[in-house]
Amino acid sequence: MPRKTKEQKELEEKKEIKKSSTSSAKKKSTTKKTTTTNKSKTSTKKSTSNKKAPSTKKKTTTRKRTTKEKVVEESNLEVAEYYDLPYRYNKTVVKILAQTPSTLFIYWEISDEDIENYKKQYGENFFEITKPVLIIHNKTLDYSFEIDINDFANSWYLKVNNTKCEYSIELGRRPIEYSNTISDYIYVAESNDIESPNDHILLESFPDMIKFRNVKNNNEYFRKMSDLSISKNMSKIYNIYDLYKLIYQDENLDSLNNPSSGASSTFK
Amino acid sequence: MQEKKGYVSFVLHAHLPFIHHPESDDYLEESWLYEAISETYIPLLTNFQKLVDENVDFRITMTLTPPLLSMFDNKLLQEKYINYLNKMIELSKKEVKRTANDNRLNELSKYYYNRYSNDLHIFKDVYNCNLINAFKHFQDIGVLEIITCGATHGYFPILYVNEKTVKAQIAVGVQTYEKYFGRKPRGIWLPECGYVPEADKYLKEFGIDYIITESHGILYADPTPIYGTFAPIVSPEGVIAFGRDIESSRQVWSSISGYPGDFNYREFYRDIGYDADYDYIKPYIAHNGVRVHTGIKYYRITGKSEFKDYYNLQWAEDSANMQAGHFFDSRNAQIENLSQHMDTPPIILCPYDAELYGHWWYEGPYWLYVLFKKIYYDDCNFTLITPSEYIDKYPNMQVSSPCRSSWGANGYSEVWLNHTNDYVHKHLHVAGDRMCELAYLFPDAEGIQKDALNQAARELLLAQSSDWLFIITNGTMVDYAKKRIKDHIGRFTKLYYQIKDNKIDEKFLKDISKKDCIFPDIDYRIYR
Repeated sequence: MPRKTKEQKELEEKKEIKKSSTSSAKKKSTTKKTTTTNKSKTSTKKSTSNKKAPSTKKKTTTRKRTTKEKVVEESNLEVAEYYDLPYRYNKTVVKILAQTPSTLFIYWEISDEDIENYKKQYGENFFEITKPVLIIHNKTLDYSFEIDINDFANSWYLKVNNTKCEYSIELGRRPIEYSNTISDYIYVAESNDIESPNDHILLESFPDMIKFRNVKNNNEYFRKMSDLSISKNMSKIYNIYDLYKLIYQDENLDSLNNPSSGASSTFK
Repeated sequence: MQEKKGYVSFVLHAHLPFIHHPESDDYLEESWLYEAISETYIPLLTNFQKLVDENVDFRITMTLTPPLLSMFDNKLLQEKYINYLNKMIELSKKEVKRTANDNRLNELSKYYYNRYSNDLHIFKDVYNCNLINAFKHFQDIGVLEIITCGATHGYFPILYVNEKTVKAQIAVGVQTYEKYFGRKPRGIWLPECGYVPEADKYLKEFGIDYIITESHGILYADPTPIYGTFAPIVSPEGVIAFGRDIESSRQVWSSISGYPGDFNYREFYRDIGYDADYDYIKPYIAHNGVRVHTGIKYYRITGKSEFKDYYNLQWAEDSANMQAGHFFDSRNAQIENLSQHMDTPPIILCPYDAELYGHWWYEGPYWLYVLFKKIYYDDCNFTLITPSEYIDKYPNMQVSSPCRSSWGANGYSEVWLNHTNDYVHKHLHVAGDRMCELAYLFPDAEGIQKDALNQAARELLLAQSSDWLFIITNGTMVDYAKKRIKDHIGRFTKLYYQIKDNKIDEKFLKDISKKDCIFPDIDYRIYR
């Protein structure tokens, strides 16, 4: 964001604090909520117990109706409202989003009904004798790997090695120790599919024949790379970096990060 | 005149979140609109008019997002803007008196008095309180191309786990545009330039020809585009993508070397809202007594130290003239090089937040005016163009799939998905799924049920604004952003149960329909 000084941020923070007497407390609890490093180098966890902060009321208000609402009278209003976000929706679900090309964000929830069903099937102590795991499927390169998570978390940031790949995540459970009743992995839920973004110039996908389309009539045709002006002064072996050096004379294309970053959507 | 070897295309993205509080005057955030009208939108319109009056042929493209259009069209906000101007005129008049003993300050206070008085005249007498028609006029005479945006600036890479919610953002964005401009938009500014290929089919369905992407949206495309960002590409689905130019972006945006940091330019952070005696300024700051920006600023950036000299209008103009010359020369040199290597003339796309021009960079609108005049009158190898005109002139383009990307920090989704705001997404996803469920359950609703379903769609759309997530990440006005998310999700959820239980609370519905009155013509069936 252009010209945003430290001084201004401090002023605005002061303003925030004055504006709401509760905001500083909230901010503190938000700061605490940040990640702690998991044993696994590839992931970080978020604790659900932290997520409950700062209000324990949420727990009691989210059973059936997912919002809490009070109606109070105000002079110029017919209805005054107060809402909190529900802590959970009582649905079994796993969702993934790509935060960056190499970081996936996963969140999940298991419904009360499913929890009861697992207990019925595997015993009351099912959730004590098993641990939750995430199985990450890379569908593009056709491999999977598994990480341990814990029952205090309901979301996770996960590092992946391969960008521009399709991923899905499976939530399951494994016995913590050998058990007679539970021999192996138990499936709980599977996520949506996502493709992680690409993070580099695709040298490998640079073709000899370039496909063009006339967008007025949708006719498609191919042109040989060697017939294009851009390749006139080049050797027969075309490399996209050499091409880009011609048109981006002084740019470092390996570390693109345009300077408007973060300026969008901000007026203050 | 030299033959034109290439083109430069300016795209200004004008957007503010929908902020409308008929229930109270205490929301500071409502003033964002008034400040933006006075500092950005009226100055841009005024400079466009000056160029037209001087017979300068120019081209510019602007997004006017659906929330912004809805606020421009809102009678209450129009009235409140006039009240704001009257207060600013009153304050600047007092300032003329207060600074009578200091010539330099006095000149500046008179400048502000004239400026706010002129804003009032322009807004009421020239534009008849309707800025939409003011912008439309320039589109109708062919110098401005207005494009649309997602309905409430919902960030597609997070919403698309339920594609219908992305479809609705596009559909309502297009419908709002048609309502105000009487035709379909050819282009769309994807909110935060957030591109996902899953949106392409909906963009095509609603008649969108082109999008704007961040530079790596093109450079990391598959297959690699041979001309980089200097020519548009077309996706397999038929969506044309223009990528942001790196060099010209840096010249304007860079916090280190960017034009807005010139020492002669107005210092944004020194405002009499903070500097003036508290009792004197109290009637013009926040209702609760918190000091805020008033818009009256007397200092120039001056340098990197805390010392600030008075602002000098002439010096600021001189710097703008010089920088317009630098930008002009840089594009000339860039196009000279590019034209040697390309079969079609290059296009250099320069997209910016509109509010940079005037609000953050006070001299920005004047800089644009000078630059456009130079491009028209001076000898150079390029001319201005809109993306639509470029497509019509050069319809042959490489087929390639743009890269999933955004223009946020580091180029992907970190700004809208991180440890400060990731708790929001499940609520957006659940509400999106529930809205689709309602649309399927009640395909032919009428009467109050239909009203409730339409209001539920509005609440969902308002909750989806990328602005709230951004503000939480940015760390300023966080309470307001969090409240907005809670309010819209809360209202939506309450409606969801009332509709399903067939127990719609009319009083509640009427109340929130008055507050969240965006998109009066929305049809909830868009979620089917």
